[in-house]
Amino acid sequence: MANSMATHRKRPVNLNLLQLTLQLPIGGVVSIIHRATGALLVLLIPYALYALQTSLESPMRFEQIRVSLASGVGRIALLLALWVVVQHLYSGIRHLFMDIDVGVDLTAARRSAWLTLAASVITVALLGVLL
Amino acid sequence: MEWLVQRVTSIYLGGFTVYILVYLALNPIKSYASWSTYFASGAVRLAWGLFFVSLLLHAWVGLRSIYLDYLKPDWIRFTVTVATAIAMTGLGLWAANILIRGTA
Repeated sequence: MANSMATHRKRPVNLNLLQLTLQLPIGGVVSIIHRATGALLVLLIPYALYALQTSLESPMRFEQIRVSLASGVGRIALLLALWVVVQHLYSGIRHLFMDIDVGVDLTAARRSAWLTLAASVITVALLGVLL
Repeated sequence: MEWLVQRVTSIYLGGFTVYILVYLALNPIKSYASWSTYFASGAVRLAWGLFFVSLLLHAWVGLRSIYLDYLKPDWIRFTVTVATAIAMTGLGLWAANILIRGTA
């Protein structure tokens, strides 16, 4: 018992995002999603630069990128990336409003946290139909 | 300072994201010709250049705040921070190269 307590205390809880997420209120969940989507977007920068560079090189290379992004896998990847961008944008806007003291009380903060999640899904669905 | 950089860049990034999504929804990229013509414009290159500068600054501040919370001990955080600084500079030079070189 004492032993298990000791090992328990040694666990790196600051890295245990899943457990944290399960215990956190929705505002905290959206805050972590903001960080996770931000980190993910950084990892996408190299591919974005590669695609931009290639698409501007020649008509043939442009076609190569266009075909890969228009494929089934490409479209799904684009929609997922789009969700990551839009979710980060909306939770970022939420944080900006909180910076200027708008919506900081608990009820409003919870509502806006849920709102960013709902709005990002709806936005991506709409853009998916449009694009 | 970091706090301010993060907010100012976020405004430009948000505005640019909305602009590019609306632009693409209204003018889907159909061919190399229209795409390279769009990118030949100086204003477009400037807007994209500012976008990449904002993006990399924003990413730098964001990653650093994540590192400060999760990376321990200090030498790991230091190493990862230096590697990130080099990577961000490299990505910035790459972006500049794409934007300056022009459409061949």
